[in-house]
Amino acid sequence: MNGVFAFTFTGLTTSGVLTVLGVAGGAVVVLYLLKLRRRRVEVPFVKLWHQVLAEKQTTRLFSQLKRLLSLLIALLVVLGLATALGDPRSEGALSEGRTLVVLIDASASMQATDVEPSRLAKGIERVDALIEGLGPADRMLIAQLDATATPVSPLSGEPRVLKDALENIEPTEVAANLRAGLHLALDVLRDQPQPEVVVVSDGNLDATRFDPRVFETRLSERDVRLSWIEVGERGRNVGISAFSVRRYPLDKSQSEVLVELNNPTDEVQAIEMTLLGDGEAVDVQRLNLDPGERLRRFFRNISGVDEALEARITMVDGSHDDLQADDRAYARLPERRRARVCVVSAGNLYLQAALLLDEYLDVTEVTPENYPAEGEFDVYIFDAWAPLSPPDGASLYLAANRWEEGRGPLEITGEFETPYFDHLNRRNPLLRWTALRDVNVARAAEVRLQPGDRAIARDDRGPLIVQGARDGKRFVAFTFDVRESDLPLRVAWPMLLLNTIDTFVQEDVGFVSSFQTGDTWHVPVPAHLESVTIVDPHDAERRVPVVEGRAVFAGLRTGFHTVRMDDGTEERFAANLGAGEESHIAPAEELSVGAMAASAPTAGEIGARREIWLYLVLFVLGILSVEWWTYHRRMTV
Amino acid sequence: MLDFLKRKKTPGGKRRKSDEDLFDEEFQRRLEVLAIVSRKIYRGRMRAERRSKKTGAGIEFADHREYAPGDDFRYLDWNVYQRTGRLLVRLFEEEEDLSVYILVDQSRSMGMGDPPKLDYAKRVAAALAYVGLANLDRISVLSFDERMEARLAPTRGKNRIFKVFDFLRPLQADGETRLEDSLKTFAAQNKRRGIAILISDLYDPAGFEDGINQLRYAKFEPFVLHLLDPAEANPPLHGDVRLVDHETGEFREVTITPRVLKKYREAHEAYRKEIANFCGTKQVAYHALSTDTPFDEAVLEVLRAGGLVR
Repeated sequence: MNGVFAFTFTGLTTSGVLTVLGVAGGAVVVLYLLKLRRRRVEVPFVKLWHQVLAEKQTTRLFSQLKRLLSLLIALLVVLGLATALGDPRSEGALSEGRTLVVLIDASASMQATDVEPSRLAKGIERVDALIEGLGPADRMLIAQLDATATPVSPLSGEPRVLKDALENIEPTEVAANLRAGLHLALDVLRDQPQPEVVVVSDGNLDATRFDPRVFETRLSERDVRLSWIEVGERGRNVGISAFSVRRYPLDKSQSEVLVELNNPTDEVQAIEMTLLGDGEAVDVQRLNLDPGERLRRFFRNISGVDEALEARITMVDGSHDDLQADDRAYARLPERRRARVCVVSAGNLYLQAALLLDEYLDVTEVTPENYPAEGEFDVYIFDAWAPLSPPDGASLYLAANRWEEGRGPLEITGEFETPYFDHLNRRNPLLRWTALRDVNVARAAEVRLQPGDRAIARDDRGPLIVQGARDGKRFVAFTFDVRESDLPLRVAWPMLLLNTIDTFVQEDVGFVSSFQTGDTWHVPVPAHLESVTIVDPHDAERRVPVVEGRAVFAGLRTGFHTVRMDDGTEERFAANLGAGEESHIAPAEELSVGAMAASAPTAGEIGARREIWLYLVLFVLGILSVEWWTYHRRMTV
Repeated sequence: MLDFLKRKKTPGGKRRKSDEDLFDEEFQRRLEVLAIVSRKIYRGRMRAERRSKKTGAGIEFADHREYAPGDDFRYLDWNVYQRTGRLLVRLFEEEEDLSVYILVDQSRSMGMGDPPKLDYAKRVAAALAYVGLANLDRISVLSFDERMEARLAPTRGKNRIFKVFDFLRPLQADGETRLEDSLKTFAAQNKRRGIAILISDLYDPAGFEDGINQLRYAKFEPFVLHLLDPAEANPPLHGDVRLVDHETGEFREVTITPRVLKKYREAHEAYRKEIANFCGTKQVAYHALSTDTPFDEAVLEVLRAGGLVR
């Protein structure tokens, strides 16, 4: 037999099928040949049956024919089951089919509505058609491509499984990471026949994170075909590419806002930008953006806003651009907390003057002789003196070189002259907005650090500023006396002081006004928590772990998110579209990896794709059902 | 009416053990009701028919006949002589007790059915016996299979019903059916003629006709109660079976199909009709009783049919 009518057994071998057929068929024949042991039934008067049985003789031939038919049916059942055990497949189905990995771009640009209803929906529709065209031996894996590549289906040739998987594709507001997609595809397609990567996208992929030549080589070596299903028609869009807000460090009642607008189109776009503070319009501006222009605007000295800021842009003519995901941006302001500070000092004018800068501080001053002071405090500042035991709160120790022996959180081992700030931990929030390189210091104490202590500023000979914790109480210690330096004459001095206090009262100086989608977010939360619940702007909840006081996860949605702690308290933070490139939604003219240009997907072979054994079993079940029915309807007995 | 039955206790003061089964209190209660109802029937319709056909020394005038020498002069009808000049002798009906023989078939085939036909036959026999006893008839109960087996001597009076119970209770279905032999023996052993109630399924391989004829020829008044089990008329059989005769052991292998079953039902009905037709032709009272009919209803039905006595 040729073509689709030629079959090969892929289960039991042909000899195995014949063996089963012979044994089972022989058993059936033997059973039929054996004399039927009839059921004994006692009747009161067998004479009555004689007349009936006399007529019955005439139907004996028909009975024998029925018996023969019954034997044939039993043999047919055996034949069907034995063949099903062989798992017969048409030779057409056995030929090596394609192995497709379909990467569906679910990035922000795929939410563009230049094609109805959206590029992503259109792309899914095209994949659906691709599934319909799968050949009998083709297999496909579908993956969502956003900041990562996530498979949503197994590698399967079943259209139903693949189509169901398409329903799991969800739009995100990140850039599509082509590198992750190619990694996944190459892993899946390893040693698979006729490998093919199908990218369903507008072509605006984040190809900046990898060297395309590496993947070009790997694709070529493994003979993987690169295909592209293009979606999208045009790219009329203006977006907010950056949005940030901060309180003025020395006047936290006011804020400064940065907005960057991007016009990636080839035309001048007239837009209206509205800045909202806590839901109320703070400022409205009309702007004209030149083709390809990135325009930055600062809004200074914004006051009266406590929590949230939002920027919105609309086209002046009232129309909408094709991508609305980047038409809004969000930011949160750090919460202001009033801190109670106890200063233990014999008198330090520089310290007192610096503390006066922050009106949110309640400062209580006591001399070392009057320590401890009455009341509860969030922060203790010990100036050139240290208590025998650490206080019940965070503490800042100044002038460690003047401590009495055996006191303070650090062990004093000596002293060294004219230290310099040779090494600074710039990423530490205490040193934010400070310049310490050329600060002159007369002398500093040599100290021995304990495990967990960090020197955030140090001379080659020893630490100058140490951060750590004792008995669970945080501390920062200056190993030098600021009065023996020119630090108080610099802006860095009050900044250092206020940064330290803000850190202690968890008014995070490292507060990020908004996160960017596509990045790994480190959202500050209370350090003792192990996990928190993040609720995104679409009310989707996810549990994320807490690492060193930060909830760490990859955010995919823009807008205001909520952090829900286990005790029921909630905090909000903002997230904006991360990749400015996503505002550039004009479909790419070609998709390529290095020199390898993507082409249209290959077509599948037409042919029966079902497994035949299933039909054989259904056939046998059908025969048995008919026989059962006729038996119980007394038609065959 | 049957209070004396309820007071009847065993010496130990306990109720008879046998009351728990066939002839329990419920059965006896229904017998009492049956007797009351049957008396109305006797009084209303049947009493006049229960005279003996024998003429003799009775008080009821029956007929005249020509005087013959030797006749008793006291019976000469002088009024007729005066009017016609002929000597005629008055004949009177001789009153005598009616003998009722209840013949119970106890062959093996009677042990089949649910309830077994024999149990049903016992109850019907007991009920008929009680009705007869209550009406002062001479009741005799006999059982037979291939021969006459047991006999309860003729008795009278309803307080003798326990004798009937005691006779019927131990009867077991055994032996083959040979109506001719057994009824021939019956006729020979019982010279006093009367009603012979034959309670049987009539499954005699040799045929039922000769048996009934034996009763007719011996001047008995046969009354055939034909017991029918519904499961025998419409057996729940299917498939390949070996049919074995319960009495003879004769067997036949057959594949039961709906068509075969239909044929059998027709054959069974034809057999019943054959018996009914035979009885009708021979002036023999016949009544078919289905064992799914309560025995008291069946007995009343028989009595109401009016064929029990002539």
